[in-house]
Amino acid sequence: MTTTDVPAAPDRRARTPGGATERRPRRRREGAAWVFLSPWVLGATVLTLLPMAVSLYLSFTDYNLFDPPRWVGLRNYTQMFTEDPRYWRSVRTTLLYVALAVPLQLALALLVALALKSVKRGKGFYRSAFYAPSLLGASMSIALVWRAVFNDGGTVDNLLGTGGWVNRPGWSLLAVALLTVWQFGAPMVIFLAGLQQIPPELYEAAAVDGAGKWRQFVSVTLPMLSPVLFFNLVLQTIQAFQVFTPAFAVSAGKGGPADSTLVYTLYLYDRGFVASHMGYASAMAWVLLLAIGAVTAVLFRTSRSWVFYASEGDR
Amino acid sequence: MPGHRTKTFRTSAAALALCALLAGCSGSAESADGGKVVLRYTWWGNPDRAERTERAVALFEERHPDIEVRTSFSGYDAYKQKLATQAAGGDAPDVMQLDYRQIDQYASGGVLLDLAQQRDALRTSAIDPGLLATGRVDGTQYAVPQGRGTETVVYDVAAWKASGVPLPREGWSWDEWADAMRALARKTGRPGSVDPGQSEDAFEVWLRGQGKSLYTGDGGLGFTVDDLTRWWTFTDVLRREGAVSPAEQTTQLDGSVENTPLGRGTAVSDFNWDAPASGYAALIEGGVALGPMPSGADGTPGQYFKPSMFLGVSADSPHADAAARLVDFMINDALAGDILGATRGIPVNETVRKRTEPLLTGFDRTIADFQDSLEGALEDPPQAPPSGDNALQTTFARDYDQVSYERMSPREAAEDYVTEAKAELRS
Repeated sequence: MTTTDVPAAPDRRARTPGGATERRPRRRREGAAWVFLSPWVLGATVLTLLPMAVSLYLSFTDYNLFDPPRWVGLRNYTQMFTEDPRYWRSVRTTLLYVALAVPLQLALALLVALALKSVKRGKGFYRSAFYAPSLLGASMSIALVWRAVFNDGGTVDNLLGTGGWVNRPGWSLLAVALLTVWQFGAPMVIFLAGLQQIPPELYEAAAVDGAGKWRQFVSVTLPMLSPVLFFNLVLQTIQAFQVFTPAFAVSAGKGGPADSTLVYTLYLYDRGFVASHMGYASAMAWVLLLAIGAVTAVLFRTSRSWVFYASEGDR
Repeated sequence: MPGHRTKTFRTSAAALALCALLAGCSGSAESADGGKVVLRYTWWGNPDRAERTERAVALFEERHPDIEVRTSFSGYDAYKQKLATQAAGGDAPDVMQLDYRQIDQYASGGVLLDLAQQRDALRTSAIDPGLLATGRVDGTQYAVPQGRGTETVVYDVAAWKASGVPLPREGWSWDEWADAMRALARKTGRPGSVDPGQSEDAFEVWLRGQGKSLYTGDGGLGFTVDDLTRWWTFTDVLRREGAVSPAEQTTQLDGSVENTPLGRGTAVSDFNWDAPASGYAALIEGGVALGPMPSGADGTPGQYFKPSMFLGVSADSPHADAAARLVDFMINDALAGDILGATRGIPVNETVRKRTEPLLTGFDRTIADFQDSLEGALEDPPQAPPSGDNALQTTFARDYDQVSYERMSPREAAEDYVTEAKAELRS
C-alpha cells in the first residue's frame, strides 16, 4: 500500500497545506480536465453559444441572407406583436398542441408503465417493444408514413370513414399530436424506474388498512410518483413547445390546412427559410425561449403544492 | 507505474480528440477526383426533365473528359429553399437554374457571376437580344434564360371531349371558363378544374385581363383589396358549387404535378406553365392538351410569354471557366438542343430553335404548337417581380386556404393578404 504521487482527497489535510509538491500535480490535473472537456467546450461555444449570440444580434436586424444585416431596432418584435395575424395564430396552435399532446402522452406512458410493472415473463421484450416508437418516431420516414396513414384513402380513413385527417383543419393537429403521443417511451422508462422506487411496505400497509387498487393508486402511487411525474411534465412540456418535425412532415412542410398545424417553430422556419427573413425568425426564436422559460418557472411554482418528496415527508 | 499509464493514456486521448476534430473540419467539397474539375449543377423540374438533362450532361462530360458534373434536382418549392440556404452559406452550386423571380435577389446579393467575364466560354450572340436582356440586372448580364413559357389551361383530353363541353378557345372570357367548369362538373361528376384561387399566377392573368398588374413599376402592390376580394369571391362561389376542386384537395398542392387533382384524376383540368405540364402526360391515360388562358371580358389577354429557367454561375465558383462552358453547352450546342427538346421551353438560341423545332415530337410538339398559336396575340411581359414576391406566393396560397375552408370571408382574407404584402414589399 504505497502512496502514489496523485494525492487522494482525504490525504490532503495530512500533508503540509500549500506545499509546492501538492500544487503542481493539481494544476496538471486541471489541465487534463480541460483537455478532456475541450471537445465539449469547443462544441458548446462554436455550435451553441456563438450562434445564440449571433441570433440575438440578428433579431434586431433586417437580414434576408443575401445582403448584410441592417439594424432595425425593435421593429421585428413590434411587427410580430402588432402586425402579424399569422403569428398569433401560430401561438394559439402551439398552445393547443401542448395542451393536447403532453397530458395524453404522460397518461399513456404512466398507464403502460403500470401495466409493465407487474409483467413477470418477457419483461425485457415488452419494454423494448413499447420503447421502439420513440426510436423510430423521430425519423422523417415515420412522419411520412403517418401522413399517409391519416391522408385521404389512408388507413384511418378506411377504418373510421372520417376522411383524411391531415386535410381537415379540425383534425390535422390531432394527427400531429398523436405522432408525439405514440413516442411515449422516454417518460415511460422514467415512470417505471419511479414505480420501482416505491417501497412495497406502503402497499402492504394500505392493503391492511383495506384500500382497494384504485385507492392504492391515488393515495400511494401518485404521491410517491409525483417528483417523477413533475420531471416528466417539465421535460415534455419544454419539448412540446419546440415541436417541429411531426408538424412539418404531416403537413408537407406548409403547416396547413388553413394554418391548422402551423406551430410556432414551423412558422419560424417559414419566416426564416421560405420568406428569407432571418432577423424576424431570430426574434421569434428569442421570444420562444423566454416563453418556455416563463412556462417552466410557472410549473416549478405550482409544483410546491402538489409534488411530494419523501425526504420532507415529516413536514 | 499507474501515473505513467495515466500520462500515456492522457496523451493518446488528447491526440484522438484532436484527430476527430481535424477530421470534422477537413473533407471540403473541393475533391480532385484524379485531377478532374468537379462542377455542381442544380435545377428544379420533373423526372422527364431530369432524364434528358442527365443525358445532355453525359454528352458534355464526354466532350470534356477533364470535367465531372454532379447534378441534383427537386421540385420548385424545395429547390427554392435549399438554394437560398446554400447561397447564404457561400456554398451556391457552380451552375444553378433560377426563376425570373429570383434573379434580382441573387444578383444584388452578390451570388451570381458577371457573365461578361466569361464571354469567350459562353456565347450569347445567337440569342434574341430582348430575351437575353431579361437576365440583366442594372446593366450586367447575370443569367441567361433557357427558354420561355406561358400559362395554360391543361386538360384531360379524353374526359373533356367525352363530356361534349366546347373545348377551350382563344379569347374565351373568365365567365365562359366558369360556365365550362360547371358544365364539366355536371357531365363528368368531378370538378372541372383545380381551384385557381390559391394561385398567384392565375390571379395575375385575371388581373392583366382587366388592364391591371400584380406590381407597380416601382415595386409596390398593383391591385387593391377590392380586386382580390372579387377574385376570391369568384373562385369561392365555384368551389361551393363543386365546379372547382374542394379545399381538402386544393390544400395539397405543392408545386408538383403528381399532387394536383388533375394528376390524381380527380379533376378535368388545371392551370400551369406549359413546360412543366408535360408531367401530366405521364399520369393521365388519354393524354393532356393545352388550351389558352381565359381573357378579360373585352378580350384583353392576360397571359404572357415569360422568360423562364435562367442559368447562372456562382460568383464563388473556383471553376468559373468550366461552369461557363457548361452553360454554353446547354444553351448553344445543337446536339444538346436535340436531347433537351422543349423540356425548359422552346430553345432561346435561334440556330438551335430552327433546327430543333421541326423535329419536336410528343409533348414538346404540343408546347411548340401552343406557343405558335399565341404568337403575336399577347402583350409584353411585366418586369421582373420585386424580391418580396418570392415569399408572397406562399402567403397567397395560405390566405386562400382560410377562404376555401370557410374560416374567413374573401374580404377578410384579402385584407390580411394586402397587409402582409405591404409589410413584405416595404422591407
